[in-house]
Amino acid sequence: MSNGSLRLERASTQVLEFFWNGRAVQGRQGESLATALLANGIRTLAWSRKSHRPLGYSGSYVTGVLARVDGVPNVRLDLVPVAVGARVEMQNCWPVPGFDLLRLSRLIPASWIQGGFEHTNLVPSGTALFQRWEAILAFLAGVAKPAERSGEVPVPMARHLSADVLVIGGGPAGCAAANDAVAAGRSVVLVTRGHSLARYVRAAGHARPTLDERVQLVSGVEVFGAYREGELLLAAPHDPAQGALALEADEVILASGRRACPPVVPGMWLPGVMDVRTALIMAHEQSVAPGARVVVVGNGDQEAVASRLRELGVTVVAARPVADLRRVVGRSRVTAALFARSVACDAVVHAGPWLADASLTFQSRAEGLLQLREQRQSRLREVGSVMEADQLLPVAACSRHKTLLCPCFDVSDHEVEALLAQGITDLEVIKRLTSCGMGPCQGQPCWDALRALVSARSGIALAGLARPTLRPPRRALSVAQAAGLAPVVEPLQ
Amino acid sequence: MNNLNPLPGKASIIIVGAGIQGLSLAFNLAELGVRDMLVLDAGYWQGGASGRNGTLIRGAFSSPEWTRFFAHSCHLWQGLSKRLGENVMYSRRGYTMVGERSATAALLDRTLEVHKACGITSSLLTPARLREVLPALAHGRVSAALHLPDSGVAPHHAAMYAYRQACAARGVDIRYRTEVTAIDQSAGRVSGVRVGEHWISSDTLVLAGGAESNRLAQLAGVPLDGYPMRLEAMALEPTRPLIGPAVALLDRLCYMHQTARGEVVGGAEVAERPQHTLNADVPVMAATARAYLEMFPQLGHARILRQWAGLVHISKDFGPLLGAHEDLSGLFVSAGWCYGHAGAPAAGEFLAKAIVSGEVDERMRPFAVNRFECNRPVVEPGIVLSHFE
Repeated sequence: MSNGSLRLERASTQVLEFFWNGRAVQGRQGESLATALLANGIRTLAWSRKSHRPLGYSGSYVTGVLARVDGVPNVRLDLVPVAVGARVEMQNCWPVPGFDLLRLSRLIPASWIQGGFEHTNLVPSGTALFQRWEAILAFLAGVAKPAERSGEVPVPMARHLSADVLVIGGGPAGCAAANDAVAAGRSVVLVTRGHSLARYVRAAGHARPTLDERVQLVSGVEVFGAYREGELLLAAPHDPAQGALALEADEVILASGRRACPPVVPGMWLPGVMDVRTALIMAHEQSVAPGARVVVVGNGDQEAVASRLRELGVTVVAARPVADLRRVVGRSRVTAALFARSVACDAVVHAGPWLADASLTFQSRAEGLLQLREQRQSRLREVGSVMEADQLLPVAACSRHKTLLCPCFDVSDHEVEALLAQGITDLEVIKRLTSCGMGPCQGQPCWDALRALVSARSGIALAGLARPTLRPPRRALSVAQAAGLAPVVEPLQ
Repeated sequence: MNNLNPLPGKASIIIVGAGIQGLSLAFNLAELGVRDMLVLDAGYWQGGASGRNGTLIRGAFSSPEWTRFFAHSCHLWQGLSKRLGENVMYSRRGYTMVGERSATAALLDRTLEVHKACGITSSLLTPARLREVLPALAHGRVSAALHLPDSGVAPHHAAMYAYRQACAARGVDIRYRTEVTAIDQSAGRVSGVRVGEHWISSDTLVLAGGAESNRLAQLAGVPLDGYPMRLEAMALEPTRPLIGPAVALLDRLCYMHQTARGEVVGGAEVAERPQHTLNADVPVMAATARAYLEMFPQLGHARILRQWAGLVHISKDFGPLLGAHEDLSGLFVSAGWCYGHAGAPAAGEFLAKAIVSGEVDERMRPFAVNRFECNRPVVEPGIVLSHFE
């Protein structure tokens, strides 16, 4: 690292200038907008909805990387490469980012906005005052200005893809399963979220797995939903100008791995906290460090992650078990990690606890007229680490320090504890009373945090607390992309 | 949220279904002085259609029967926060019915005449006025627009919370996750219900079970028109206000509005075989997206947060089945609801009166449970639904 910048020595020297809130910022070739902003020391990219807490590039909470890019609201900055002249603006500010009066909302007592703006009892309906009040709430809750008028958005036509075997996930397990299937003479499509195979494994210092050239590889695509008893899967390219994909196969192999979820301790929402996958891939592919002094926490692999980060040129000041982490300290960004003693740092990378994304499994096996539950066989089969049991999320003891379960909507442990005190333990009901997990991430990872907290505080076993229904498409699909699906997927007749 | 005491052995009235219909009825019965009521629901709070609907409150339709009923309900919504003592967040933001084909413009002309005859405030918007009401609309595609200024939306979580709190404050015993497994009768009259091994006696029973209505009628051994049908909706990522009133795009069988938290919520109907599942599917999402894209071009880039399905009970003419069941004394029905959220305040008031005093309100009479046997369906051309053919 040089000159206090987070750019590592291998960083590209090709400068691409873009604009952040009207100010020119220098990115480098190959960086995403989120990475480039971080490399420029800009850590707060967004604000939480109710209490206006700063949020940044975390890998866990999508809201932290949503901004307006060239007049389009809610663009994911971590998926858009730096482009010359791009106009990137912060959202949830008024009147302007540099002089943002909405920050005053941090002074509002938590009890007033419990359950979100939409659960208020302050001004009852039935009066003219309510209509004005509701207009203010809608303005605040809306966060982003609507898109600029630019005529009808072109509809990218969806495509239909079918094969004997569909493999979801381009890591070692997915590649191996695809190779096996193709060797057995079956036609195989492998879909991966990354623009190339096995990004995480390579970032972690391992060899790139080989993929038989007979496998049809579709990259840069997110499989976001399973429909019709798992017989139809939908995917959308990260590029909104490309059409969605309708995928059908006799056998679906889920090799999507697991991801590190933030433990339920105070301060995990602060800009500077990042999950290991995001941190390693950023350092490896884009040559930007998550911080100048990094603390790594993990569930056994913290030492390995720390030494890999050091290999990549990142300064790691401590590596500790995640269970020892009591709190992440800071007001507007990470300043320390508190274990038995405090360790000064500007970034915390968490490698674990590891959980699988349950969405596709749930959607393909869900059944029930009163509540959807996983209770049906499907053609979906799991391989690799996605099969391993979810690790337990550590939950901090009750304290005056708030733990945010759902940072996008500012749902805190205190709010949920108040409901538990009334005997409410049903996660579907808590979701509806607090809006926990109803933001851009659609409960991933917030519902795991909620589930762990309710279990820890109420004594109900995790198995007895079903996650709220995991609904597609979790913002993977734009309206224009969805419109392009109409000719490809026929209604059931 | 739930009473944790053991179930009682008897109740004055048992209501099966603690959705908005069951709770509105229980509230109105309590207001008429009925005590020791029990409301039983097999699912969780807001788990059924009362927690999955589009939250629109439409106060007028194209037939006089529907218009009189729902206009009264809309009127009740406006005073409901005061009445229940909790905020139902009824937003009187207006409801605009948009037509694209010329035949739809003619239907809106006829609808306006019905509204005049029923004393409803509504108006056909001039193009200039429509631009003020819905600036983001693709005006080039519109043939006519009828605006209902008194209609609007009420988020279901607020309404369901308010009704539940108001019922609890009046001593109504509400049990979720409590499934009625049998309905007993003796000498041609309801005598009680079973919840597993537990028997609860009551001589008055109301079926308000939404999509489970046919199954419940079967338990009671009586016939009931209608069938369960899946409806789907989706929500877009929030933005600040773009669309003011609630909107029905009549030619696309699509309804939508932007909620107070910025999400555009709505759905469009597609012709499909009726589905009896809570799993969502693709065609409704695609059709809704297409309607949004073409009618509100600024939504084209917006991302879809989630889609979901709900089950309603659909009668032959889409109208509610409301009142006493002729075949079993002591049995009442509130079913057939596809505009149940909007209609709940009026339905609860009318049915409570019918149960307590036997008096059938004129606005409820057309929706009698046995109207198809008597060959008296109610024809309503202005709704955003169709049967599969």
